[in-house]
Amino acid sequence: ERGGNNSFTHEALTLKYKLDNQFELVFVVGFQKILTLTYVDKLIDDVHKEFRDKYRNEFQQKGALGLLNGTFDFKDDFMRLLRDAEESSKVRAPTVMKTFEQSLKSQKTVKCMIETRGEKPKEKVKNKKNKGSKKDGTEAVAAPSKASAGDKQLSAAGEKEELTKDEILQKNREEFFRRHMKAGEKSRSPKPDAQKEKGKKPRVWDLGNSNAKVLDYSNSATNGSAESCPVEEFDPDMALGDKNREPGRLYDLEYESDDEAEEEKVVQNPSKASVKKKKGGLGGMFGMLKGLVGSKSLTREDMDPVLEKMKDHLIAKNVAAEIAVQLCESVAKKLEGKVMGTFTTVTSTVKQALQEALVQILQPQRRVDVLRDVMDAQRHRRPYVVTFCGVNGVGKSTNLAKISFWLIENGFSVLIAACDTFRAGAVEQLRTHTRRLNALHPPESHGGRTMVQLYEKGYGKDAAGIAMEAISYARNQGFDVVLVDTAGRMQDNAPLMTALAKLIAVNAPDLVLFVGEALVGNEAVDQLVKFNKALADHSMAQTPRLIDGIVLTKFDTIDDKVGAAISMTYITSKPIVFVGTGQTYCDLRSLNAKAVVAALMKA
Amino acid sequence: AMAGGLEPHLEALRRELHGPAVLSVLIALIAVAVTFLIWRFVQSRRSSRKAVLLLGLCDAGKTLLFARLLSGRYRDTQTSITDSSAVYRVSRDKSTNVTLIDLPGHESLRLQFLERFKAAARAIVFVVDSVAFQKEVKDVAEFLYQVLVDSTVLRNAPALLIACNKQDVTMAKSAKLIQQQLEKELNTLRVTRSAAPTSLDGSATGGPAQLGKKGKDFDFSQLPMKVEFVECSARGSKGEEGEADLEGLEKWLVKVA
Repeated sequence: ERGGNNSFTHEALTLKYKLDNQFELVFVVGFQKILTLTYVDKLIDDVHKEFRDKYRNEFQQKGALGLLNGTFDFKDDFMRLLRDAEESSKVRAPTVMKTFEQSLKSQKTVKCMIETRGEKPKEKVKNKKNKGSKKDGTEAVAAPSKASAGDKQLSAAGEKEELTKDEILQKNREEFFRRHMKAGEKSRSPKPDAQKEKGKKPRVWDLGNSNAKVLDYSNSATNGSAESCPVEEFDPDMALGDKNREPGRLYDLEYESDDEAEEEKVVQNPSKASVKKKKGGLGGMFGMLKGLVGSKSLTREDMDPVLEKMKDHLIAKNVAAEIAVQLCESVAKKLEGKVMGTFTTVTSTVKQALQEALVQILQPQRRVDVLRDVMDAQRHRRPYVVTFCGVNGVGKSTNLAKISFWLIENGFSVLIAACDTFRAGAVEQLRTHTRRLNALHPPESHGGRTMVQLYEKGYGKDAAGIAMEAISYARNQGFDVVLVDTAGRMQDNAPLMTALAKLIAVNAPDLVLFVGEALVGNEAVDQLVKFNKALADHSMAQTPRLIDGIVLTKFDTIDDKVGAAISMTYITSKPIVFVGTGQTYCDLRSLNAKAVVAALMKA
Repeated sequence: AMAGGLEPHLEALRRELHGPAVLSVLIALIAVAVTFLIWRFVQSRRSSRKAVLLLGLCDAGKTLLFARLLSGRYRDTQTSITDSSAVYRVSRDKSTNVTLIDLPGHESLRLQFLERFKAAARAIVFVVDSVAFQKEVKDVAEFLYQVLVDSTVLRNAPALLIACNKQDVTMAKSAKLIQQQLEKELNTLRVTRSAAPTSLDGSATGGPAQLGKKGKDFDFSQLPMKVEFVECSARGSKGEEGEADLEGLEKWLVKVA
């Protein structure tokens, strides 16, 4: 489902790949990351075309027998193509380089420099404008050389552009000389400097009858210089706008303007669509029928409108915008060139592919089975440690209580570690939960064992230290599970993220759960990326402990805008372990991928 | 005069309609319809379940097994990302064919492909890597559990063969050991899975299906389908050039087809 980009880097190797969806082939080229080979894309395309044409018969056969029985002796062809590609890339390189002597620019400017002294400052200014940001140009001689050095990196096309600019430059200089002779003023050179200093000073026409050509500044290459910009008049009335507003009052947002803009857009689109339809006419109807029957391969143009609509639909369902874009990109890559069966429209194919991709995203790499792992830890006589992290106010403590209830129902004893030493009332909250849970599951019904207990050290202490003590206490007392509650923190808050990373790195919990609410939109991407990054940066180990699972909370507040689930699993590739659907102890569910995808794809 | 001319024609027509000829036409039509329906039913029953699925974890050897069964030759294989299907002639004298379908074992793909092909399955071959089994016990059991509690699989009850592959390696575990370990692991799994929180739309994750009998420890004989264990080696003991050791598998396929 991540087929959007076509390259993959792993350690020292980079892999570039190309998909052929018609015959279901994948072409992969691997090379060392440090080499920047320019011919790789071309090589892949050539290999693809040649392989496909050569073995077309084997692919046409239905079933895998063709692939099994055919011999694919492609090695010689491949070596030939590789050699061709390498040579073609070598040929191109030398034409880019051009030495300083050969460059016309250097000759011209030096010559001009020697000719007239008064032109020096003007030269500087003009050169600056021509080259843009490439040089600082304190010395005019140094400037052209630097420019040529910059030129060397440009491609041949860029070179040509510079030359034409130089011709324009030359022309302007000639005009300027003429002007100089006519007016006969010697103080022309300081004038440009003075003019530049003053900024938007109105232009002074010191020439009586001047050539129209001279006054035509439209062709000059002096982008952004002060003289060529027409002066704008500052009209205070215009700038302030509405005369009748009270000074200092803050007006509300006007909503009518938004609707109007939308209406305009909506009106425009139907008119465009109707125009298109009119053009189609009879051909359009036949085209529709032709599209239904017969096998045609999907092209990008066919899929683009459908994908646009699907992307907007996903975004409307609260999927993060960049993820919706990447998803649509990968679906497009997967379907490009695929041959559609009869009686399938483009829309249905794209929808099906998108649905499959979404289900694949939601069905994780490895299902996190908490009970199974707790049983394992029980056998090794050590507690199973779960850490909850997330931003402020997502429901960590509430869901921690729900999960401890579920664990108690399954016969495991729980120790709750109150590592939220910042928020007022955090410890009391957990104490109340502990009391309630013990009331629901009294020790008498579990063989005299207190099923849940709270380990707390008050406020203001170091969270990582409390967690460590809690774990050793649990080991001594024989608790099966330790649930560590941490304080909520924003992902941008570097010191707090460091503290969290330290807690996780030092205590090495068995499961790190990120608690996120289902209401979050594009923020989910940022939160998860920054949390994972902080955990990875501050860990000393070879393989840092990252987020292992996600708890999606406040699921009852969204009806079918379930896109946050997709955003979160896409970013981390980790499963959604629990879903919180309310505030009572029984409101804990597990994710049903098909139901969520159905809710997403529903119109 | 016109109306009078029409009347006797209409009378004749009406008499015709009530005559025996029409009745026979109607009966013929019904017979054709019924035959058609029966034929469709039989066809769908027969053709819908002609597939033998090759399932298993990644690197269990499914694709190589597939290649060996179909062509007899050894092939270098890559991790499958899509299914491969081909018609397999079960034995030389009988002309029954089954469609062998090799599904990818990768975690993110396996359930999707299982969904697509489970309805057409007449038999399932679950390939297990006997060498890495000790490390992968939990994953193998989890996948097997997911296959076994699937409602379609429970309904159709296709024959199940657990092929303990890679027997050519000396460290390979025997089929008996694998069976014992799987039974133990599945016993634990059915408790933990049914205790998991219920799914979002109300249906429990383990389904109302309970694997095996409640009170007793899990046993493969408690399943509604026939389960067999067989040892095989897709690579063959003589290396890449030699024949594969697939006798047990082929005999089972003959039985199932």
